[in-house]
Amino acid sequence: MRTVTTLAVLALALAAGTLARAGDSKTFDREVSAEPHGVVEISNTAGEVQVSGWDRSDVSIHASLDDDVDRVEVTSSPGRTVIKVILPAHSWHGGEAHLRVQVPKDSELRVSTVSADTNITGVTGIQRLNAVSGNVTTDIAGADLELKTVSGDIKVKGRGLPAQLRITSVSGDVHLQNGGGSLEANTVSGTLVASLEGAKSVVARTTSGDMHLDAKLTRGASFEATTVSGDLEVRASADGGYAYEVSTFSGDITDCFGGQQAQKGYVGHSLSGSRGDGAGRMRLKTMSGDVQLCDRT
Amino acid sequence: MPRSIDPPRDLWPQIEAQLGAAGAAAPRRRTAPLRWLAAAAMVGALAVGVWIGRDLMPLPGAAAEVAQQPPANPAGANPGGAAVNAAFVSDPRYARQRAELMGSVQAQLNAMPAPARAKVAASLSAIEAAKKDLESALGKDPSNALLQELLINTYQDEMRVLTDVHEAGNAGRGI
Repeated sequence: MRTVTTLAVLALALAAGTLARAGDSKTFDREVSAEPHGVVEISNTAGEVQVSGWDRSDVSIHASLDDDVDRVEVTSSPGRTVIKVILPAHSWHGGEAHLRVQVPKDSELRVSTVSADTNITGVTGIQRLNAVSGNVTTDIAGADLELKTVSGDIKVKGRGLPAQLRITSVSGDVHLQNGGGSLEANTVSGTLVASLEGAKSVVARTTSGDMHLDAKLTRGASFEATTVSGDLEVRASADGGYAYEVSTFSGDITDCFGGQQAQKGYVGHSLSGSRGDGAGRMRLKTMSGDVQLCDRT
Repeated sequence: MPRSIDPPRDLWPQIEAQLGAAGAAAPRRRTAPLRWLAAAAMVGALAVGVWIGRDLMPLPGAAAEVAQQPPANPAGANPGGAAVNAAFVSDPRYARQRAELMGSVQAQLNAMPAPARAKVAASLSAIEAAKKDLESALGKDPSNALLQELLINTYQDEMRVLTDVHEAGNAGRGI
Protein backbone atom coordinates (compact mmCIF):
# COMPACT_ATOMS: atom_id res chain seq x y z
CA MET A 1 0.00 0.00 0.00
CA ARG A 2 2.83 2.35 0.88
CA THR A 3 4.52 1.57 -2.45
CA VAL A 4 1.34 2.33 -4.39
CA THR A 5 0.95 5.64 -2.56
CA THR A 6 4.56 6.58 -3.26
CA LEU A 7 4.20 5.76 -6.96
CA ALA A 8 0.98 7.75 -7.17
CA VAL A 9 2.65 10.78 -5.60
CA LEU A 10 5.59 10.47 -7.96
CA ALA A 11 3.33 10.20 -11.00
CA LEU A 12 1.37 13.24 -9.86
CA ALA A 13 4.58 15.22 -9.36
CA LEU A 14 5.81 14.19 -12.80
CA ALA A 15 2.58 15.23 -14.44
CA ALA A 16 2.59 18.55 -12.61
CA GLY A 17 6.20 19.14 -13.65
CA THR A 18 5.39 18.39 -17.27
CA LEU A 19 2.45 20.77 -17.20
CA ALA A 20 4.55 23.48 -15.61
CA ARG A 21 7.29 23.01 -18.21
CA ALA A 22 4.75 23.22 -20.99
CA GLY A 23 3.51 26.47 -19.56
CA ASP A 24 7.05 27.94 -19.53
CA SER A 25 7.14 28.48 -23.28
CA LYS A 26 4.85 29.69 -25.98
CA THR A 27 5.00 29.68 -29.73
CA PHE A 28 4.45 32.29 -32.35
CA ASP A 29 3.75 31.77 -36.05
CA ARG A 30 3.27 34.36 -38.73
CA GLU A 31 3.71 34.71 -42.46
CA VAL A 32 3.83 37.98 -44.36
CA SER A 33 4.37 38.74 -48.01
CA ALA A 34 7.67 40.32 -48.98
CA GLU A 35 9.63 41.45 -52.01
CA PRO A 36 12.23 39.15 -53.55
CA HIS A 37 15.04 41.67 -52.99
CA GLY A 38 13.60 43.39 -49.95
CA VAL A 39 15.23 43.98 -46.59
CA VAL A 40 14.54 41.62 -43.70
CA GLU A 41 15.59 42.82 -40.28
CA ILE A 42 15.66 40.47 -37.30
CA SER A 43 16.62 41.27 -33.74
CA ASN A 44 16.71 38.91 -30.80
CA THR A 45 18.46 39.07 -27.47
CA ALA A 46 18.93 35.51 -26.27
CA GLY A 47 18.22 32.08 -27.70
CA GLU A 48 18.72 31.46 -31.38
CA VAL A 49 18.01 32.87 -34.81
CA GLN A 50 17.84 30.45 -37.73
CA VAL A 51 17.34 31.98 -41.13
CA SER A 52 17.04 30.14 -44.40
CA GLY A 53 16.41 31.40 -47.89
CA TRP A 54 13.64 30.06 -50.08
CA ASP A 55 12.15 30.73 -53.50
CA ARG A 56 8.90 32.22 -52.22
CA SER A 57 8.23 35.94 -51.83
CA ASP A 58 7.09 35.57 -48.26
CA VAL A 59 8.65 35.77 -44.87
CA SER A 60 7.65 33.01 -42.50
CA ILE A 61 8.34 33.20 -38.79
CA HIS A 62 8.09 30.45 -36.24
CA ALA A 63 9.19 31.30 -32.73
CA SER A 64 9.41 29.44 -29.49
CA LEU A 65 9.43 31.91 -26.61
CA ASP A 66 10.27 31.74 -22.95
CA ASP A 67 7.64 33.08 -20.60
CA ASP A 68 9.76 36.09 -19.82
CA VAL A 69 9.73 37.16 -23.46
CA ASP A 70 7.04 39.76 -23.98
CA ARG A 71 6.22 39.16 -27.65
CA VAL A 72 7.43 38.99 -31.22
CA GLU A 73 6.64 42.05 -33.23
CA VAL A 74 6.45 41.79 -37.01
CA THR A 75 6.03 44.83 -39.18
CA SER A 76 5.85 44.72 -42.92
CA SER A 77 6.10 47.59 -45.34
CA PRO A 78 6.97 47.63 -49.04
CA GLY A 79 10.49 46.30 -49.39
CA ARG A 80 11.04 45.83 -45.66
CA THR A 81 10.08 43.26 -43.05
CA VAL A 82 11.07 43.80 -39.44
CA ILE A 83 10.99 41.03 -36.85
CA LYS A 84 11.72 41.99 -33.28
CA VAL A 85 11.71 39.93 -30.12
CA ILE A 86 10.44 42.27 -27.43
CA LEU A 87 11.50 41.76 -23.84
CA PRO A 88 9.90 43.37 -20.84
CA ALA A 89 11.30 46.82 -20.09
CA HIS A 90 14.74 46.97 -18.39
CA SER A 91 15.53 43.40 -19.34
CA TRP A 92 18.90 43.28 -21.09
CA HIS A 93 19.49 39.59 -21.49
CA GLY A 94 16.38 37.96 -20.22
CA GLY A 95 14.21 35.35 -21.82
CA GLU A 96 15.19 33.27 -24.75
CA ALA A 97 13.46 33.22 -28.08
CA HIS A 98 14.19 30.61 -30.70
CA LEU A 99 13.34 32.00 -34.10
CA ARG A 100 13.09 30.07 -37.32
CA VAL A 101 12.68 32.48 -40.20
CA GLN A 102 12.39 31.79 -43.90
CA VAL A 103 13.03 34.66 -46.25
CA PRO A 104 13.18 35.21 -50.02
CA LYS A 105 16.68 33.99 -50.88
CA ASP A 106 17.79 37.26 -52.47
CA SER A 107 16.76 39.34 -49.49
CA GLU A 108 19.10 41.76 -47.83
CA LEU A 109 19.39 40.33 -44.36
CA ARG A 110 20.13 42.26 -41.20
CA VAL A 111 20.35 40.30 -37.97
CA SER A 112 21.20 41.73 -34.61
CA THR A 113 21.53 39.66 -31.43
CA VAL A 114 23.04 39.87 -27.98
CA SER A 115 23.72 36.32 -26.80
CA ALA A 116 21.55 34.51 -29.29
CA ASP A 117 23.37 32.33 -31.81
CA THR A 118 22.69 33.01 -35.47
CA ASN A 119 22.63 30.40 -38.22
CA ILE A 120 21.98 31.41 -41.80
CA THR A 121 21.72 29.21 -44.87
CA GLY A 122 20.72 29.80 -48.44
CA VAL A 123 20.49 33.59 -48.37
CA THR A 124 22.26 35.06 -51.38
CA GLY A 125 21.65 38.77 -50.77
CA ILE A 126 23.70 41.20 -48.75
CA GLN A 127 24.09 40.23 -45.10
CA ARG A 128 24.72 42.59 -42.20
CA LEU A 129 25.05 40.60 -39.01
CA ASN A 130 25.81 41.77 -35.49
CA ALA A 131 26.13 39.83 -32.26
CA VAL A 132 27.56 40.54 -28.85
CA SER A 133 28.33 37.13 -27.40
CA GLY A 134 26.31 34.99 -29.74
CA ASN A 135 28.06 32.86 -32.34
CA VAL A 136 27.34 33.56 -35.98
CA THR A 137 27.42 30.95 -38.74
CA THR A 138 26.48 31.81 -42.27
CA ASP A 139 27.06 30.91 -45.87
CA ILE A 140 27.43 33.51 -48.54
CA ALA A 141 27.29 33.73 -52.30
CA GLY A 142 28.47 36.73 -54.29
CA ALA A 143 26.91 39.44 -52.17
CA ASP A 144 28.61 41.60 -49.59
CA LEU A 145 28.91 40.62 -45.97
CA GLU A 146 29.39 42.82 -42.96
CA LEU A 147 29.72 40.80 -39.78
CA LYS A 148 30.59 42.03 -36.32
CA THR A 149 30.74 40.31 -32.96
CA VAL A 150 32.21 41.18 -29.60
CA SER A 151 32.97 37.75 -28.16
CA GLY A 152 30.98 35.50 -30.41
CA ASP A 153 32.75 33.12 -32.78
CA ILE A 154 32.26 33.56 -36.50
CA LYS A 155 32.04 30.91 -39.20
CA VAL A 156 31.49 31.92 -42.80
CA LYS A 157 31.37 29.58 -45.74
CA GLY A 158 31.59 31.08 -49.21
CA ARG A 159 31.62 29.92 -52.78
CA GLY A 160 34.77 31.75 -53.85
CA LEU A 161 32.71 34.43 -55.56
CA PRO A 162 33.87 38.04 -55.50
CA ALA A 163 32.28 40.10 -52.76
CA GLN A 164 33.21 42.64 -50.16
CA LEU A 165 33.66 40.88 -46.84
CA ARG A 166 34.12 42.88 -43.67
CA ILE A 167 34.46 40.74 -40.57
CA THR A 168 35.38 42.08 -37.17
CA SER A 169 35.41 40.63 -33.70
CA VAL A 170 36.94 41.52 -30.40
CA SER A 171 37.60 38.14 -28.86
CA GLY A 172 35.74 35.75 -31.08
CA ASP A 173 37.49 33.35 -33.43
CA VAL A 174 36.94 33.94 -37.12
CA HIS A 175 36.78 31.12 -39.66
CA LEU A 176 36.23 32.01 -43.28
CA GLN A 177 36.12 29.24 -45.81
CA ASN A 178 36.24 29.77 -49.54
CA GLY A 179 35.89 33.55 -49.50
CA GLY A 180 36.59 35.76 -52.50
CA GLY A 181 36.91 39.35 -53.61
CA SER A 182 37.95 41.77 -50.89
CA LEU A 183 38.43 40.79 -47.29
CA GLU A 184 38.85 43.09 -44.36
CA ALA A 185 39.13 41.07 -41.16
CA ASN A 186 40.01 42.20 -37.71
CA THR A 187 40.13 40.53 -34.32
CA VAL A 188 41.94 41.36 -31.12
CA SER A 189 42.56 38.05 -29.37
CA GLY A 190 40.57 35.71 -31.54
CA THR A 191 42.19 33.42 -34.06
CA LEU A 192 41.69 34.28 -37.70
CA VAL A 193 41.60 31.40 -40.15
CA ALA A 194 40.69 32.13 -43.76
CA SER A 195 40.85 30.43 -47.09
CA LEU A 196 40.33 32.60 -50.14
CA GLU A 197 39.76 31.94 -53.81
CA GLY A 198 40.33 34.78 -56.23
CA ALA A 199 40.97 37.47 -53.65
CA LYS A 200 41.98 40.85 -54.99
CA SER A 201 42.42 42.68 -51.71
CA VAL A 202 43.11 41.34 -48.23
CA VAL A 203 43.64 43.41 -45.12
CA ALA A 204 43.79 41.31 -41.95
CA ARG A 205 44.78 42.40 -38.50
CA THR A 206 44.91 40.89 -35.04
CA THR A 207 46.49 41.97 -31.80
CA SER A 208 47.34 38.73 -30.03
CA GLY A 209 45.38 36.28 -32.10
CA ASP A 210 47.14 33.93 -34.49
CA MET A 211 46.41 34.16 -38.18
CA HIS A 212 46.34 31.36 -40.75
CA LEU A 213 45.63 32.56 -44.25
CA ASP A 214 45.46 30.44 -47.35
CA ALA A 215 44.87 32.54 -50.42
CA LYS A 216 44.69 32.35 -54.15
CA LEU A 217 45.10 35.93 -55.30
CA THR A 218 44.07 37.58 -58.54
CA ARG A 219 46.63 39.35 -60.71
CA GLY A 220 47.90 42.53 -59.09
CA ALA A 221 46.20 41.74 -55.80
CA SER A 222 47.23 43.41 -52.59
CA PHE A 223 47.59 41.45 -49.38
CA GLU A 224 48.42 42.89 -46.01
CA ALA A 225 48.39 41.01 -42.70
CA THR A 226 49.47 42.45 -39.38
CA THR A 227 49.65 41.19 -35.83
CA VAL A 228 51.26 42.51 -32.69
CA SER A 229 52.06 39.27 -30.88
CA GLY A 230 50.11 36.69 -32.82
CA ASP A 231 51.83 34.27 -35.19
CA LEU A 232 51.24 34.70 -38.87
CA GLU A 233 51.09 31.78 -41.28
CA VAL A 234 50.40 32.55 -44.92
CA ARG A 235 50.16 30.27 -47.89
CA ALA A 236 49.56 32.14 -51.09
CA SER A 237 49.61 31.90 -54.83
CA ALA A 238 48.78 34.60 -57.33
CA ASP A 239 48.25 35.00 -61.04
CA GLY A 240 51.35 36.93 -62.06
CA GLY A 241 53.00 36.26 -58.71
CA TYR A 242 53.60 38.81 -56.02
CA ALA A 243 56.36 40.82 -54.41
CA TYR A 244 56.56 40.37 -50.68
CA GLU A 245 57.94 42.21 -47.71
CA VAL A 246 57.96 40.56 -44.32
CA SER A 247 59.08 42.38 -41.20
CA THR A 248 59.10 41.59 -37.52
CA PHE A 249 60.64 43.27 -34.52
CA SER A 250 61.41 40.26 -32.38
CA GLY A 251 59.77 37.28 -34.04
CA ASP A 252 61.21 34.77 -36.47
CA ILE A 253 60.66 34.67 -40.21
CA THR A 254 60.66 31.50 -42.26
CA ASP A 255 59.65 30.81 -45.82
CA CYS A 256 59.29 27.69 -47.89
CA PHE A 257 61.05 29.13 -50.90
CA GLY A 258 64.49 27.88 -49.91
CA GLY A 259 67.84 29.56 -49.91
CA GLN A 260 66.74 32.88 -48.50
CA GLN A 261 67.68 34.20 -45.13
CA ALA A 262 65.80 36.85 -43.28
CA GLN A 263 67.97 39.92 -42.99
CA LYS A 264 68.74 41.03 -39.51
CA GLY A 265 68.68 44.77 -39.19
CA TYR A 266 69.85 46.91 -36.31
CA VAL A 267 66.68 45.76 -34.61
CA GLY A 268 64.33 43.13 -36.01
CA HIS A 269 64.25 40.98 -39.09
CA SER A 270 62.99 41.51 -42.58
CA LEU A 271 62.60 39.43 -45.67
CA SER A 272 61.67 40.58 -49.12
CA GLY A 273 61.51 38.97 -52.48
CA SER A 274 59.28 38.09 -55.34
CA ARG A 275 57.32 35.12 -56.58
CA GLY A 276 56.57 34.79 -60.29
CA ASP A 277 56.38 38.13 -62.07
CA GLY A 278 55.79 40.00 -58.85
CA ALA A 279 52.52 41.51 -60.10
CA GLY A 280 50.80 41.54 -56.73
CA ARG A 281 51.97 42.95 -53.45
CA MET A 282 52.14 41.22 -50.08
CA ARG A 283 53.15 42.78 -46.78
CA LEU A 284 53.31 40.83 -43.54
CA LYS A 285 54.14 42.64 -40.31
CA THR A 286 54.33 41.69 -36.67
CA MET A 287 56.02 42.86 -33.53
CA SER A 288 56.80 39.63 -31.71
CA GLY A 289 54.90 36.99 -33.63
CA ASP A 290 56.57 34.44 -35.86
CA VAL A 291 55.89 34.61 -39.58
CA GLN A 292 55.82 31.81 -42.07
CA LEU A 293 55.25 32.42 -45.78
CA CYS A 294 54.82 29.57 -48.21
CA ASP A 295 53.43 28.85 -51.62
CA ARG A 296 49.91 27.60 -51.75
CA THR A 297 49.86 24.10 -53.10
CA MET B 1 121.91 85.58 -56.70
CA PRO B 2 120.32 88.00 -54.22
CA ARG B 3 119.26 86.43 -50.90
CA SER B 4 115.99 88.25 -50.97
CA ILE B 5 113.81 90.24 -53.29
CA ASP B 6 111.87 93.14 -51.87
CA PRO B 7 108.25 93.26 -52.98
CA PRO B 8 107.27 96.22 -55.06
CA ARG B 9 104.90 97.31 -52.26
CA ASP B 10 104.25 96.61 -48.59
CA LEU B 11 102.08 93.45 -48.52
CA TRP B 12 101.64 93.21 -44.74
CA PRO B 13 98.54 95.40 -44.43
CA GLN B 14 96.68 93.23 -46.96
CA ILE B 15 97.80 90.00 -45.26
CA GLU B 16 96.83 91.38 -41.89
CA ALA B 17 93.40 92.34 -43.21
CA GLN B 18 92.81 88.90 -44.64
CA LEU B 19 93.89 87.20 -41.43
CA GLY B 20 91.57 89.50 -39.52
CA ALA B 21 88.65 88.61 -41.80
CA ALA B 22 89.35 84.90 -41.45
CA GLY B 23 89.63 85.26 -37.70
CA ALA B 24 86.31 87.07 -37.56
CA ALA B 25 84.60 84.37 -39.63
CA ALA B 26 86.02 81.45 -37.67
CA PRO B 27 83.93 81.91 -34.51
CA ARG B 28 80.74 81.92 -36.57
CA ARG B 29 81.66 78.55 -38.01
CA ARG B 30 82.35 77.22 -34.55
CA THR B 31 78.96 78.33 -33.22
CA ALA B 32 76.97 76.33 -35.82
CA PRO B 33 77.80 72.84 -34.42
CA LEU B 34 77.09 74.12 -30.94
CA ARG B 35 73.63 75.20 -31.99
CA TRP B 36 72.93 71.83 -33.54
CA LEU B 37 74.21 70.10 -30.44
CA ALA B 38 71.95 72.23 -28.29
CA ALA B 39 68.96 71.51 -30.52
CA ALA B 40 69.72 67.79 -30.50
CA ALA B 41 70.02 67.86 -26.74
CA MET B 42 66.65 69.58 -26.50
CA VAL B 43 65.02 67.02 -28.78
CA GLY B 44 66.64 64.23 -26.81
CA ALA B 45 65.44 65.68 -23.53
CA LEU B 46 61.96 66.09 -24.99
CA ALA B 47 61.92 62.48 -26.19
CA VAL B 48 63.03 61.25 -22.79
CA GLY B 49 60.38 63.42 -21.18
CA VAL B 50 57.68 62.07 -23.48
CA TRP B 51 58.83 58.52 -22.79
CA ILE B 52 58.82 59.08 -19.05
CA GLY B 53 55.43 60.75 -19.29
CA ARG B 54 54.02 57.91 -21.32
CA ASP B 55 55.32 55.09 -19.25
CA LEU B 56 55.47 56.42 -15.77
CA MET B 57 53.09 59.30 -15.29
CA PRO B 58 49.44 58.62 -16.03
CA LEU B 59 47.46 61.81 -16.28
CA PRO B 60 44.89 62.86 -13.71
CA GLY B 61 41.82 60.69 -13.95
CA ALA B 62 43.76 57.68 -15.06
CA ALA B 63 43.59 56.10 -11.64
CA ALA B 64 39.83 56.40 -11.55
CA GLU B 65 39.71 55.02 -15.05
CA VAL B 66 41.82 52.06 -14.08
CA ALA B 67 39.58 51.42 -11.10
CA GLN B 68 36.63 51.31 -13.45
CA GLN B 69 38.26 48.80 -15.71
CA PRO B 70 37.44 45.14 -15.47
CA PRO B 71 40.03 42.80 -14.05
CA ALA B 72 41.93 42.76 -17.29
CA ASN B 73 44.03 39.79 -16.44
CA PRO B 74 42.73 37.67 -13.63
CA ALA B 75 45.97 35.73 -13.52
CA GLY B 76 47.77 38.93 -12.62
CA ALA B 77 50.21 38.50 -15.46
CA ASN B 78 49.86 42.13 -16.35
CA PRO B 79 50.16 43.98 -13.07
CA GLY B 80 49.39 47.61 -13.59
CA GLY B 81 48.86 46.95 -17.25
CA ALA B 82 45.54 48.69 -17.09
CA ALA B 83 47.39 51.81 -16.05
CA VAL B 84 48.69 52.22 -19.54
CA ASN B 85 46.26 54.55 -21.21
CA ALA B 86 46.06 56.91 -24.06
CA ALA B 87 45.82 60.04 -21.96
CA PHE B 88 49.20 61.18 -23.15
CA VAL B 89 47.95 61.41 -26.67
CA SER B 90 47.87 65.10 -27.21
CA ASP B 91 44.61 65.35 -29.13
CA PRO B 92 42.03 66.38 -26.55
CA ARG B 93 39.16 65.05 -28.65
CA TYR B 94 40.74 61.61 -28.63
CA ALA B 95 41.33 61.77 -24.90
CA ARG B 96 37.77 62.94 -24.25
CA GLN B 97 36.17 60.32 -26.46
CA ARG B 98 38.27 57.56 -24.98
CA ALA B 99 37.47 58.65 -21.44
CA GLU B 100 33.75 58.64 -22.26
CA LEU B 101 33.96 55.17 -23.74
CA MET B 102 35.98 53.84 -20.84
CA GLY B 103 33.35 55.23 -18.50
CA SER B 104 30.58 53.27 -20.17
CA VAL B 105 32.46 50.07 -20.91
CA GLN B 106 32.42 48.81 -17.35
CA ALA B 107 28.63 49.03 -17.22
CA GLN B 108 28.36 47.21 -20.53
CA LEU B 109 30.75 44.51 -19.36
CA ASN B 110 28.81 44.02 -16.16
CA ALA B 111 25.66 43.44 -18.16
CA MET B 112 27.26 40.75 -20.30
CA PRO B 113 27.07 37.05 -19.57
CA ALA B 114 30.07 35.96 -17.50
CA PRO B 115 31.85 33.94 -20.23
CA ALA B 116 31.54 36.80 -22.71
CA ARG B 117 32.69 39.27 -20.08
CA ALA B 118 35.80 37.17 -19.43
CA LYS B 119 36.61 36.91 -23.12
CA VAL B 120 36.21 40.64 -23.72
CA ALA B 121 38.24 41.45 -20.60
CA ALA B 122 40.99 39.19 -21.94
CA SER B 123 40.91 41.07 -25.22
CA LEU B 124 41.13 44.43 -23.50
CA SER B 125 44.02 43.03 -21.54
CA ALA B 126 45.67 41.89 -24.78
CA ILE B 127 45.38 45.40 -26.16
CA GLU B 128 46.88 46.89 -23.02
CA ALA B 129 49.73 44.40 -23.14
CA ALA B 130 50.29 45.11 -26.83
CA LYS B 131 50.43 48.86 -26.21
CA LYS B 132 52.84 48.38 -23.37
CA ASP B 133 55.09 46.04 -25.37
CA LEU B 134 55.09 48.35 -28.36
CA GLU B 135 55.88 51.40 -26.25
CA SER B 136 58.65 49.50 -24.56
CA ALA B 137 60.08 48.39 -27.90
CA LEU B 138 59.79 51.94 -29.23
CA GLY B 139 61.75 53.06 -26.20
CA LYS B 140 64.61 50.95 -27.52
CA ASP B 141 64.16 51.89 -31.15
CA PRO B 142 62.16 55.15 -31.32
CA SER B 143 62.38 55.58 -35.08
CA ASN B 144 61.22 52.07 -35.97
CA ALA B 145 58.49 52.58 -38.55
CA LEU B 146 57.08 49.07 -38.06
CA LEU B 147 56.58 49.62 -34.35
CA GLN B 148 55.08 53.06 -34.90
CA GLU B 149 52.60 51.64 -37.37
CA LEU B 150 51.68 48.76 -35.07
CA LEU B 151 51.20 51.15 -32.15
CA ILE B 152 48.86 53.33 -34.19
CA ASN B 153 46.98 50.21 -35.29
CA THR B 154 46.65 49.16 -31.67
CA TYR B 155 45.26 52.52 -30.62
CA GLN B 156 42.74 52.31 -33.44
CA ASP B 157 41.84 48.78 -32.44
CA GLU B 158 41.34 49.85 -28.85
CA MET B 159 38.92 52.57 -29.92
CA ARG B 160 37.08 50.14 -32.14
CA VAL B 161 36.78 47.63 -29.33
CA LEU B 162 35.59 50.24 -26.85
CA THR B 163 33.07 51.51 -29.37
CA ASP B 164 31.84 48.02 -30.19
CA VAL B 165 31.45 47.09 -26.52
CA HIS B 166 29.73 50.41 -25.86
CA GLU B 167 27.31 49.88 -28.71
CA ALA B 168 26.76 46.28 -27.68
CA GLY B 169 24.86 47.64 -24.71
CA ASN B 170 22.15 48.89 -27.02
CA ALA B 171 20.32 45.61 -26.94
CA GLY B 172 18.29 44.92 -30.01
CA ARG B 173 19.87 47.77 -31.90
CA GLY B 174 22.95 45.85 -32.82
CA ILE B 175 26.59 46.85 -32.54
